[in-house]
Amino acid sequence: MTAAAVELTPRRRTWSSFRRNPLGVASGLLLLLLALVAICAPLIAPFPEGYGADTSQPPSSAHWFGTDDIGQDVFAQVVWGTRVSMAVGVSASVLAIVIGLLIGVCAAYFRRLDTPLGVLVDLSLSLPVLPLMILVAALAGPSVRTLAVVIALFSWPEVARVVRSQALAIVPMPFVSAAKVVGGSSLWIVRKHLLPGVVPVVGVSVVLTTSRAVLSEAGLSFLGLGDPNSWSWGTILHKAQQSGALASAWWTTLFPSLAILLLVLSTTLLSVAYNDARNHRSDT
Amino acid sequence: MRRAVLLTALAVALTACAPSVPGSSGSSGSPGAQAPASADRLTIGTTADVVNYNPLVGNSRTDSWVTDLMYPKLTQMDATGKRIPYLATEWSYSEDGKTATAKLRDDMKWSDGKPVTASDVVFSVTAVQKEKFGVVAGLITALDEAEAVSPTEVRFKLSRPDGTFLDNVGFWLPVVPEDVFSKAPSVQKFANDKDWVSAGPFKLTKVERGQRYIMDRVDDFGPGKPTVKQVVFRVFPDVNTEVLALRNGEIDMIGNVLPPATATELKSDTAVKLQEIPSLGWAHLQYNTKRKPLDDVRVRQALAHAVDYEAIRNIALKGFAKSSNSSVLTPSLPQWTDQASKEYAFDPEQSKKLLAEAGQTNLRLGMIYDQADPNIARWAPMVRDAAKKAGITIELQGLERNTYLDKTTKRDFDIYAGSWAVMDNPPANLGLAFKSGGFINYAQVEDPKLDDLIDQAQRALTQEEAKPPIQEAARMIHDQVYDNVLYVETFNVAHSAKWTGFQPMPSELLSILNPLSLAAAKPAG
Repeated sequence: MTAAAVELTPRRRTWSSFRRNPLGVASGLLLLLLALVAICAPLIAPFPEGYGADTSQPPSSAHWFGTDDIGQDVFAQVVWGTRVSMAVGVSASVLAIVIGLLIGVCAAYFRRLDTPLGVLVDLSLSLPVLPLMILVAALAGPSVRTLAVVIALFSWPEVARVVRSQALAIVPMPFVSAAKVVGGSSLWIVRKHLLPGVVPVVGVSVVLTTSRAVLSEAGLSFLGLGDPNSWSWGTILHKAQQSGALASAWWTTLFPSLAILLLVLSTTLLSVAYNDARNHRSDT
Repeated sequence: MRRAVLLTALAVALTACAPSVPGSSGSSGSPGAQAPASADRLTIGTTADVVNYNPLVGNSRTDSWVTDLMYPKLTQMDATGKRIPYLATEWSYSEDGKTATAKLRDDMKWSDGKPVTASDVVFSVTAVQKEKFGVVAGLITALDEAEAVSPTEVRFKLSRPDGTFLDNVGFWLPVVPEDVFSKAPSVQKFANDKDWVSAGPFKLTKVERGQRYIMDRVDDFGPGKPTVKQVVFRVFPDVNTEVLALRNGEIDMIGNVLPPATATELKSDTAVKLQEIPSLGWAHLQYNTKRKPLDDVRVRQALAHAVDYEAIRNIALKGFAKSSNSSVLTPSLPQWTDQASKEYAFDPEQSKKLLAEAGQTNLRLGMIYDQADPNIARWAPMVRDAAKKAGITIELQGLERNTYLDKTTKRDFDIYAGSWAVMDNPPANLGLAFKSGGFINYAQVEDPKLDDLIDQAQRALTQEEAKPPIQEAARMIHDQVYDNVLYVETFNVAHSAKWTGFQPMPSELLSILNPLSLAAAKPAG
């Protein structure tokens, strides 16, 4: 039990039980597909700009997802939107994980920091996140970078809390005390024992934080705080709402919403599948 | 069987208990039932609450719509922007232009029974002059003193001849009851949020914040008894929900202007009638003439040649926009327009040539606009994409409204994309917009020759006299690209086909819900 997480055999066992979960595998594949679409966007569709003569056309063979009120192809918008939405999601989540990991591990290992950091985390968790995000995004001016930073700034506390509780269980372990006795520096112990111990929770956290970040991005962009120079799923929804065509041109809202739904659903299913596989509930 | 009876009884009881919704027309019968409208109630959808009941201060659209029905003005405007009588029956200037006189009608009464007299007009204009607030203050700088010659005659003494004075005061100044407003220590800070004493065709009787504003007919309204007994403003979250409510028959009119795409869609609905209302303002790009390289007229001309005007009008506005031939004298005010003005052609090659002459390569500029303005948000990317063809990079800065306003007042931008709502009197408005130090001189124009021309036009006492200098000024603004006018919007306002008799007037402030129009509205058929 002691070093279960770092040994190779349990990892393999996790993998094999994950493979047996069709929902998990399908979600993983879907995420891969979305990532592929994001990376290969220029190969799939031209960047949506300018205007076209076919305005507000329903889906057809020429325009798979129809066109919007200035004649741009909604399919191209969704494809390029995948890029920005996922980029913002992933970078915000990476940023949040780094901050959260740092604070969580510090709080668990350095006992004196636990209380102040705990207060900080509790405080951040109790903040009204959405209004604050709107405020910061509005003041900083809309750009992809601002969005990523703003979302990260408000998503790390969850990560910190999860990491801290996991690390708290590792700190009193005999091997950590042993490492201290042989004179290992704090940094070395954190790196060699604490970090590997919390990596599995972080893995789940990355996926969930990404999906939350994508949702936040869509929300902020829908409110008009997105980057006007690029496309994201939220931006498409925002433009559809602004054009006043919400009721008539259903295709302008359905497809970006579907993309958001697919991403959030598959990340949730993936993390559930991963968690189940790691805890080996099916084995017992 | 017994249970069924019980259920029916319950259902009946429930229906009886359901709160009746004043403000939804056809309260009996299902929504959407095409019963003919009765003259009892006209319900208007709006998207905002009344924030300010003090008509001298209020400036949001809903504020103006409601208070305009309560407080009379000296004059109204006809469909071409010319002033027509309202409280004033006639008005004129003295020979030297330093005295202006207005004669008032004698049959208007405040709701407390007292007559509307010249001293109310004098009080209103003096209060604004003393405390310097609102739109009017900036328009009456020529005023020395106003006095009531008789209960039905006001005389304005001016410090200099100003031919725009009566037009401005007549159209912009709401007349408020002296008895009520003079009790407040500061007229500007007077909230006027209860026990209203008004003199318009309707009086505000009930307010449910966030829900509805109920206004009742004034039977002895001087210019004529309104047909409709009650006008109700209902508050909706956005235009989309207003459209649904109009189609369901819950409301009879949408106060807000429809987005072009919605207007196109509603055209085919026979239950809804669209009224086209010309805008008195215009949408434009302004180049900050105090920033390099925009201080070079060739760079500004290059930018003017790098906008696809036709595409913006036809695609972003769905054709609900007119060309103004790049002139600030728009076709909405036909008596002022200059037929000789020509629109800048969309010609990227010409732009490149001009830029090369000015020694500019890789020009990069930022463009600020209000992200929440649906039309501008739609054409801003089109401006960027067209400029790209001329080798100009425009970076869009779609900002949240307050940030945008802040940057505008600080003149902190390269290019400003926006629109002016009501420019009803060219000599006065061009003064505010293009004279050195003008209140809305966003482009920071400082041109002594232009200042002279505008001054000359303002001094002229008749429109004929003011026309030549103002046309000359407009030509300068065109040639120097102090303003790049993109289009004059044609607003679409929707009302139920069950109503008729509206008197549309230009601008979204007046449209079909100006006092005279609502007083004249009646059920169709």
